[in-house]
Amino acid sequence: MQQRFLDPSVLSGISNLTLVAQTVVDGFISGLHRSPDFGFSQEFAEYRMYNPGDDLRHVDWNVYARTERMYLKRYRGETNCQVTILLDASRSMKYTSHKIDKLEYARYLTASIAYMAGLQRDAAGLIVFDDEVRQFVPPSTRQGQLARLLHAVEKAEVGTRTDYARPFAHLREFLHRRGLIVCISDFWEKPEDVIKTIAPLRFHGNEVVLFHVLDPMEIRPKFDDPVLMEDLETGATLEVSPDYAAKEYPAKIDAHLEEMRSKSKGNGLDYFLIDTSRPLDAALREYLAARGGRK
Amino acid sequence: MGLLAPWFLAGIAAVGLPIWLHLLKRSKTDPKQFPSLMFFEYRETSSVKHRKLEHLLLLALRALMLFLLALLFANPFIRRSGAAADGKRLMVVAVDKSFSMRTGTTVSNRLSQAKDEAQKILSGLKPGDSAQVLALAGNVQALTQTVNDPAELRAAVNSIQPGDSRASFGELARYARTLSEAQKIPIELHLVSDLQKSAMPPGFADLRLNPGTTLVLHSIGNAEKNWTLENVVAPRRIYDPKRVKLQAMVTGYGTPAAKRTVTLKLNGRDLQTKTVDIPENGRAQVEFLGLEATYGFSKGEVRIDSADNLAADDHYNFSVERLDPRKVLFVDDGRHPRAELYFRSALDSSGDGGFQMESMRPENAAGAAFTNYAYVVLNDLSSVPQNLESSLQHYVNGGGAVLVTLGPSAAALPRVPVLDEAIEKSSYAGREGERFLSIVDIDTGHPALRSVERFNGVKFFQAIHVSATKSRVLAKLNDQTPLVLERTIGEGKVLAFASTFDNVSNDLPLHASWVPFIAQTALYLGGGGAEQPVNVPVDSYVELRASDSKGAAAEVQDPDGKRALSLDEAIKAKNYAVNREGYYEVKTASGRSSLLAVHADRRESDLSVIPKETLDLWRGTGTNDPVPGTPGAASGVDAPQKPYSLWFYILLLLLGIAVAESIVANGFLRPAAPARDDTKQNDLKLDQTLSKVS
Repeated sequence: MQQRFLDPSVLSGISNLTLVAQTVVDGFISGLHRSPDFGFSQEFAEYRMYNPGDDLRHVDWNVYARTERMYLKRYRGETNCQVTILLDASRSMKYTSHKIDKLEYARYLTASIAYMAGLQRDAAGLIVFDDEVRQFVPPSTRQGQLARLLHAVEKAEVGTRTDYARPFAHLREFLHRRGLIVCISDFWEKPEDVIKTIAPLRFHGNEVVLFHVLDPMEIRPKFDDPVLMEDLETGATLEVSPDYAAKEYPAKIDAHLEEMRSKSKGNGLDYFLIDTSRPLDAALREYLAARGGRK
Repeated sequence: MGLLAPWFLAGIAAVGLPIWLHLLKRSKTDPKQFPSLMFFEYRETSSVKHRKLEHLLLLALRALMLFLLALLFANPFIRRSGAAADGKRLMVVAVDKSFSMRTGTTVSNRLSQAKDEAQKILSGLKPGDSAQVLALAGNVQALTQTVNDPAELRAAVNSIQPGDSRASFGELARYARTLSEAQKIPIELHLVSDLQKSAMPPGFADLRLNPGTTLVLHSIGNAEKNWTLENVVAPRRIYDPKRVKLQAMVTGYGTPAAKRTVTLKLNGRDLQTKTVDIPENGRAQVEFLGLEATYGFSKGEVRIDSADNLAADDHYNFSVERLDPRKVLFVDDGRHPRAELYFRSALDSSGDGGFQMESMRPENAAGAAFTNYAYVVLNDLSSVPQNLESSLQHYVNGGGAVLVTLGPSAAALPRVPVLDEAIEKSSYAGREGERFLSIVDIDTGHPALRSVERFNGVKFFQAIHVSATKSRVLAKLNDQTPLVLERTIGEGKVLAFASTFDNVSNDLPLHASWVPFIAQTALYLGGGGAEQPVNVPVDSYVELRASDSKGAAAEVQDPDGKRALSLDEAIKAKNYAVNREGYYEVKTASGRSSLLAVHADRRESDLSVIPKETLDLWRGTGTNDPVPGTPGAASGVDAPQKPYSLWFYILLLLLGIAVAESIVANGFLRPAAPARDDTKQNDLKLDQTLSKVS
């Protein structure tokens, strides 16, 4: 496998999101196309004999014409999979300790997933939210859907606070078909609250993938001096000592991440922690590999 | 200001200011944004850890700047031996030429011995050493600059002539101190003198020499017996030669009991001779009656046959002036006969009868030649003719004198004649309360009021209250009414007595102070009083003009008959110092002539010598060694430890640190440099990526 990791800072030099998505996705697809486990859910799996009561729409009439036997086409996932991406655009997503902030990273990730969905002719949709739903592109397979999605992603601006209840409630309103729900956020909430809001989607038969995007400084903050910290979303300030940041905070954030991971797993959600300093394609590849392995 | 100037050093406390500011800066950091404070907690951190100082170099520079600034104000210095390191020294040879140095024979006296000794000292001058020759008398006279030419120095010593002044070692020490501060090199002060006890200043502190000044004493002569004419009391003016009484005091210093012959001489002619017994080491008074002087000034002299080595003090000069009694013009309107009587009686009774009163009515007085009168009395006039007042003003301006008395008649005048002060009211002693006024404040040092015993017991019933705006008040009554006022106008003076002479407004004419008052006033106003003595010691000053008025020339002829003043001095000089024994003819700017008899200071006649212990103490003041010769005494000349200020170097250092602080602070305050521009590198990576994608 050809290793070709893309530095997020390099991607930030490309103003066109389509090109970013192409650059990211095409690269690793070309490297992974032989994998038998590859794909979201729409890949052909097997034929089975027709049994009375089966939906005639799934009969492969070509096979019937040649063999006069009725076979049903079976796919690994749902046919016409609906991919809905929930992109958190709250103010905390604007944080960065290096060249590219979390929102920008999340944009690239969204664009890449949308592009991959387009390649597989899946219906991809997008919800940009903070404490409200800011933008909504319904899932569709129509021509130009990718362009609409990318336009919406490009327009995504930081808002205020994060509230998962509203966008997921909104999602439940129009989500009538099962599909794949990808939530990209920094999840600065209590894991139980996050999972409590998201898990119900899983009960409707959806697959839910959580991309937990964090800046390296959020995981391991480093201060040499006491600093006055200001919460990006609430505006609250707190004086923090370097000792605390070096000793107690890492333990707490690790516990938080572990809780997120365990609770996600416990509720059948896919959870992936993404560090914004890592190459985007590497992160995506890792996710897809892990996902494939799980299947 | 030394290093331990406490107030300035207290400024070092300001060093804490930048430390505090740096700490303050740290605690006021701008908030740093973070996505969420979920996992952060407030913790009380120790101030030491929390307030960690940053920018230590900048802090150190700032603290150092403040420290140096405080130090700069404290003006620290170090003691450094000035030019001593190069071995230079200044030799100062002071030769005493005071009156006592005339002691000796005509062939060899103390001054000639002193000059020989000075020559010997100068012969010891090393090449390269500089020296200065001084002549010491009442003051110090530098005969040369600081030179290293032996010929010039020897010539200066040879030029020293005997003086008539009294030596003052205090002046010499003061000069040495000034020289030491100016030259900043060790000084070797050689004093060639007879070391008379009388040359010592009143306080020993005046003899102090600066460190680095070595005093070498060269004693000339020893204590000797000496008879002298200590004083002669003679009248300044003689009106009646038969009434003249002259007293002479003959004193012996270190002498046995002896008989001495005292001769009174006038204009070189022996008038009287007396023999007096002088006790051992004591004094005796001789009195001469009658002095047949011719009219005008006469040069008098009292002489003794002392048979001692100091012949110069065997005579005493005095001067007298034979005059007819001077007239005093008493201007009265005829309404105060008793005042006239009292005044005339007092004038006739006083002293040597030098004044005669002449009475005149105001209307006649206007045409009188006032210059023929010693002074003019305006006695309680109810009106003063305009021409009389203007004539009197002219007379006073030219040096005349007027006495104005004010009584009930004068109370009607708006202003005091000639004195030109406003008459405000009459002050009366009330029938209730005090029955009379008395004097509470009087200037007894004034010549006119010197012997009036403060007018004790004199009762004043009425006085005229005059506003003293231009005049000086010499005496006041207890209700603050000015009683005696004086004003100087031009070269003359006006005296006002704010009551009468007629025993009505006061009872002064019946008191003992009346005659002295009139006599002293007459002497003061009419001249010949104590305002300028004519028998004075050497180094006295003669007053040539009373005010700053120029134009009228003064004249002084020295004992040799030469004009002592230049033309410029004649019209400008206010006084003249007489520095030789003899007779000076003086004509003041006001036109008054006098013959001044100047005699040497008789303290010089005491030839006793300063005790050795005192001299040792004096020597010890310059070398930080109390008594030279004692164990541990410094040999040779000590290098003077001069304070050497470090302010200049501190200032330079401060400026350098200020520049460094600016540079360092500029580095800290400059906005953070933009991150390394990776654009080109990124573009390259992107190109590679895109090419692979395509």
